[in-house]
Amino acid sequence: MVILKVTDAKSFPGSIRECKTFNLYKMEVEMRKSIFTIILICLLIPLVSFAGAPLDSVKAQINKVLDVLRDPSLKGEAGKKTKKAKIRNISDSFFDYTELSKRTLGQNWSKLNTQQQNEFISLYKQILEDAYADKIVTYTDEKVNFGKETQLTEKTVEVQTVILTKKADIPINYRIIQKGNEWKVYDVVIEGVSLISNYRNQFREILSNKTPDALLETLRKKVGKA
Amino acid sequence: MKSSSVVLLVLCFLFCFFTNVFSDTLSSSEEKSTKPIDTTISQEPKASEQEIVQSVPETKSESVKSEISSEDIKKSDTQAKESSQQEIIEEEKEETIQIADPLYPWNKAMYHFNDKLYFWVLKPVSKGYSAILPEDMRIAVSNVFYNIATPVRFAGCLLQLKIKDSVNELIRFLYNSTAGVLGLADAAKEDLGIARKEEDLGQTLGSYGIGHGFYIVWPFIGPSSLRDTFGKIGDGFLDPVNYVNPAEASIGITAYDKVNTVSLHIGDYEDLKKSAIDPYVSIRDAYTQYRKKKVEE
Repeated sequence: MVILKVTDAKSFPGSIRECKTFNLYKMEVEMRKSIFTIILICLLIPLVSFAGAPLDSVKAQINKVLDVLRDPSLKGEAGKKTKKAKIRNISDSFFDYTELSKRTLGQNWSKLNTQQQNEFISLYKQILEDAYADKIVTYTDEKVNFGKETQLTEKTVEVQTVILTKKADIPINYRIIQKGNEWKVYDVVIEGVSLISNYRNQFREILSNKTPDALLETLRKKVGKA
Repeated sequence: MKSSSVVLLVLCFLFCFFTNVFSDTLSSSEEKSTKPIDTTISQEPKASEQEIVQSVPETKSESVKSEISSEDIKKSDTQAKESSQQEIIEEEKEETIQIADPLYPWNKAMYHFNDKLYFWVLKPVSKGYSAILPEDMRIAVSNVFYNIATPVRFAGCLLQLKIKDSVNELIRFLYNSTAGVLGLADAAKEDLGIARKEEDLGQTLGSYGIGHGFYIVWPFIGPSSLRDTFGKIGDGFLDPVNYVNPAEASIGITAYDKVNTVSLHIGDYEDLKKSAIDPYVSIRDAYTQYRKKKVEE
């Protein structure tokens, strides 16, 4: 509409166009328009060129977990259970367990057929959740500092964090991958120890002299589903 | 005036458009470099990634059904191969160096020995000890031991020519011994903001490019390697605790240090065992990765 008005002004008789007040009015419109475009540029660039900064997405997820841990209404054993359930929900959207499983098995991934792969993903997920949910729930007043983010490959980024506990500062780095518009965790590096490569070595040792079925059986026993 | 703002707008859109396209072409150009493919493929890299699971085992059946448009099959075949290859390459890049384990039978036996030592002796003793002494006091005790061992870290910094770190170690020692009352408090970290930095001879040797040699588990001490064992021996000469006379007292202090440390970390070892499929391999790998990171720092 504004643009139309100004283009209409061109067709006005000269006397009106040269009128000072009209020129001022025109300048004001121009000013407003250019400010508008600048704002538009500022708004559009981050929207279009980034799928949401990796650091921010990690921050948001960790803060969600911290909120659950610090929830004063969740106390005692029952509270712990709800906390665990809530953290499990967050981790479901935060972690990409398929990517995690693929990278953990590496070359061995193709030794499993589709059905075995799917079972592996769900068992592995359960093992990780069982192992770490108990640990995380014991944290209450620990602080998390967020460090820098490092581009690993075209689609993967490592975000550094440090958990400050009374006893020590524990560096935990999250390796995340871009999936569509989201960033998902595929590896956690605690004190320099990569989760997936630690498990990779264990699985490799098992698969070097056993079949994928035997591996799945071991995992089933581990989660108590034998 | 008018046109300038329009041009700006157009430029802005073009910029946004190109940054998007650019990131896409980047990914497709990498694919192209390995094998020339139709441009249409570059539109579906996301889909192909997710489909590897299904498409890999199906390749055999696909080759049989040659009636169905052969072009499509070729495309999906190459896609599957490429992405799985890419994955493997990525995997290998990330792969950590494995440690040789020629003493496996000895190591495994010592692993079991230390495991029992922990559950039968160290853990009960530490639990009793922590029932007597509150956590804050135990943290203070561990700070004292840490402070006493300053020569080990100082030498490590010097031998790696980390001048700034060695000066920091010196400042930390002087400040914590005085303002931190004999090292009870880590005042240097709280007041001066100088964080701890672990250094030892094993790391120093590692920084010279000397590898682990092989993995070795010592009774009482735990996971180590040939290199780090030499490092530990060297460090022993620099740790004032080892110069305490008589030798029994020195051993007693070392044992107390161990109990105090364990009391602060009850549950960690259990968690590690619980999360592991094969605890022995998990610990061996964790040790290797942890030391690698320390050497790189």
